[in-house]
Amino acid sequence: MIFFSSTLAEPQYFSTIEKVLFVALILTSFVLFWQRFGPILNKILKSKKDVDFHLFPAGRRVWDFFWEVLCQAKVIRERPLPGIAHAFVFWGFCAFAIVTLNHVAVGLGSGFLNPASLIGRFYFYFAAAFAVACAAGIIGLFVRRFLVRPRWLGKDLSYGSGMVALLILVLMVTYLAAFFVADADPVTRVLWWVHTLALLIFLPLIPHTKHLHLVLSPATVFLSRGGFSQIPPLAGDEDFGLVAGTDLTQLVSLQAYSCVECGRCTEHCPANNTGKILNPKEIILGVRNYLNDLGPASQEPLLGKYNSQQAVFQCTTCGACEFQCPVGIEHLPILIGLRRGAVNTGAWEDNHGAKLFLALERGSNALGMSAMERDKFIQKQQFPIFDGTQEYCLWLGCMGGYDPKGREIIADFARVMNYLGTSYGVMRKEKCTGDPVRRLGNDLLFQQLAEANLELLAQNKVKKIVSICPHCVRTIQEDWKEFGTPPEIEHHSEFLARYADKLPKQKAAGTEPAEKIVYHDPCYLGRYRNVYEEPRAVASLAGDVIEAPRSHERSFCCGAGGGLVFLGEETGERVSHVRAQELAATGATTVGTACPFCNTMFRDALASSGEAAPRLMDIAQLTARGLPQDGSKLNGSMTA
Amino acid sequence: MKIVVAIKQVPERDAQVHIDASGRWIEESDLQYAMNESDAYALEEALQLKEKHSGEVVVVSVGPERVGSTIREALAKGADRGIHIECDDLNKRDVLGVARLLAAALKPESPDLILTGLQSDDLGYGQTGVIVGELLGLPHASLILHVEKTEAGLTVKRELEEGWFQTIELPTPAVLTIQSGGNKLRYATLMGIKRAKTKEVRLVTAVELNVESTPVVSLENITLPQKQKSTQMLPGTAKEAAAALVEKLKFEVRVI
Ligand code: SF4
Ligand code: SF4
Repeated sequence: MIFFSSTLAEPQYFSTIEKVLFVALILTSFVLFWQRFGPILNKILKSKKDVDFHLFPAGRRVWDFFWEVLCQAKVIRERPLPGIAHAFVFWGFCAFAIVTLNHVAVGLGSGFLNPASLIGRFYFYFAAAFAVACAAGIIGLFVRRFLVRPRWLGKDLSYGSGMVALLILVLMVTYLAAFFVADADPVTRVLWWVHTLALLIFLPLIPHTKHLHLVLSPATVFLSRGGFSQIPPLAGDEDFGLVAGTDLTQLVSLQAYSCVECGRCTEHCPANNTGKILNPKEIILGVRNYLNDLGPASQEPLLGKYNSQQAVFQCTTCGACEFQCPVGIEHLPILIGLRRGAVNTGAWEDNHGAKLFLALERGSNALGMSAMERDKFIQKQQFPIFDGTQEYCLWLGCMGGYDPKGREIIADFARVMNYLGTSYGVMRKEKCTGDPVRRLGNDLLFQQLAEANLELLAQNKVKKIVSICPHCVRTIQEDWKEFGTPPEIEHHSEFLARYADKLPKQKAAGTEPAEKIVYHDPCYLGRYRNVYEEPRAVASLAGDVIEAPRSHERSFCCGAGGGLVFLGEETGERVSHVRAQELAATGATTVGTACPFCNTMFRDALASSGEAAPRLMDIAQLTARGLPQDGSKLNGSMTA
Repeated sequence: MKIVVAIKQVPERDAQVHIDASGRWIEESDLQYAMNESDAYALEEALQLKEKHSGEVVVVSVGPERVGSTIREALAKGADRGIHIECDDLNKRDVLGVARLLAAALKPESPDLILTGLQSDDLGYGQTGVIVGELLGLPHASLILHVEKTEAGLTVKRELEEGWFQTIELPTPAVLTIQSGGNKLRYATLMGIKRAKTKEVRLVTAVELNVESTPVVSLENITLPQKQKSTQMLPGTAKEAAAALVEKLKFEVRVI
């Protein structure tokens, strides 16, 4: 066993010329590194302060750092093979930190880890194991990037990445080779110098390439806002969102420089996948290019040369990008920030958008209908009016109050509540929660709607809300916080799942094959709220739940979010059609939804797909279908 | 070009209106208010003219304190300053009384153009603008969809019945009442609202304007529209019923 008997070979002496040369090279390397890194750091630090930033409580930050950086959990989970390859390279680097320090110390004549000592031997073997894994990892990543070439890595080959991969390989090989030679062998000296040169070339390459993430991304993950799609409050009278360089905050600039150009965001982006010009990775790089060229003090608009307004308004705010990003970049505050900049200053001109805004300026709902229609619906359904005595306020939302299919869902959910004997009431003067205008960046309207609703809820002493719409739930619970304290709220899937054992099971016993229900995870329930199992539990009362190829965290958007449902025709393919086809192709007899917007999108998409489309039902409708026909209640009494 | 736009604050379109104890007015306490729709179009026309030809847009409104919010909204959309004619007894003034107030406030401004909505969404007299024109001795035209400034004055497009339009020319200064739908309205922005805070709104009272409020016309009572819904069953075979239906649609309802 030559390997285990040998120790790491090190040159035993260095001539003065060698030492001088070594020190000069180190200095050059550091200067070259700093020449590029210094200005970047400066741009980040010179950016505007994040008013809402609080370092504490730091527990979440420490955990994210441990889990996402040290354990590489997100990198591995979302792309297992390249993820593991990357993790090995990363862990190899960590293990190598001491090896590298010792390597440099040896060059200066004061190595601190003796390869022959027990500790030295152990550690160098330990690092050698990582070196092997790291070398294998980097070869794997190299093959992927230059031979397999997935689309989302971009059309152009990145020669910087190739160079870095080569250097890492050289570092590992020269390290491992030193186990096979003796100290006095001239080869040892060659290996040492090649290793040194590779190190010193690598260092200045870091800030010049996407490998800047080595330095920045641990900080980015640690400092991220947290939450999901956390939209910062506007700071003062002159803040209208991301309008110009002066609006870029330190977090935005840090994130822009951290992007490792992996393209995970774009790989999962429904807009990009259906032929829109939006490319979330390019949005981040656009901000970076802006900072490189103009810096954070520039008054030049952010939308224009560096990022296109059209692209920014194609985002469905599905959050797939933010969810996927391995370096903690928060796309939504940036995308919505750019929209805020365009809408709050009036720079965004769009007929559909203006129509939506005017409808909400002058009326109460995003559909632009008269509130009388809602009243009539409430009367027809004989919904009780909330008077403070009931347990729940049943939030109708724009869809539940005005949209024909949304009304069916609300009515069915109300039937289930009646069956269970839950007391609830609806509010006559409920207004749109402001979700579409929030996501489109209209802060004026959003504030007006949030405040009006909060006041109404407080007047009526509402304590608990239940809603059929994940957008309402998210907006009320998270986004309204900026203007007050919203009541407790839950989505009807959470409510129904709690009562699952009291609700009728509908699986046909014996003869008939059970209904196959493919459940579609709405973005605002899944990624935004982390609710995945409850709606499945509810749907499984009605039949067998099967999964679409993309489900749970990876669910593909229906195309409605971010206010897009109100913005008219899309360019390219329709997001809803792509998803509807995917759902239909599972062979399910029923598509189960838990969001009235998904429902309306699929309604149109499935209708246009023609033959034998699966049925489309909300989980509330699936549940209500199993209720006793005679209107009897759970406890045996009869409804009025 | 100096343009004055007369705007009115009316109950929001969605408002649930109730009649008050007197039976002559609506219960105001619980209402939300908004800018009268055709006035919003008048303002939009003025703002577009200003963008093209430069100048000033002044908004003027008559009413109690709450009217201030609608004036601010107009300033937020781009008007330069506002005049608020404070008046708490708006419901005691008839249309001539209101027009007198407006005319008195407008006269010292000597604008090149006065715009206002065709009619108000609440009372719907459709006369205010025209009377202001008469009181000021200015030429006026109503039902305007589009205004073009020319060397000599204005060329305007009027809407007539059944899809007919009329193009007429008139000199300035003039008064035009604007029809809804001629332009696309702009939405209010946060920046607009913030900027509007620093714009001037001058308060004047009826007394300062020297206009008294004895109405010529008085309101006796108001009623909510009565729901009329009657279902008629058309008997006979499908063919007979269809024939009867066509008959009714043609001669009773006159829709085909
Ligand atoms: S939120 Fe969704 S649609 Fe918007 S950029 Fe990200 S992935 Fe694309
Ligand atoms: S933003 Fe994040 S997910 Fe997208 S390319 Fe950059 S690092 Fe990858």
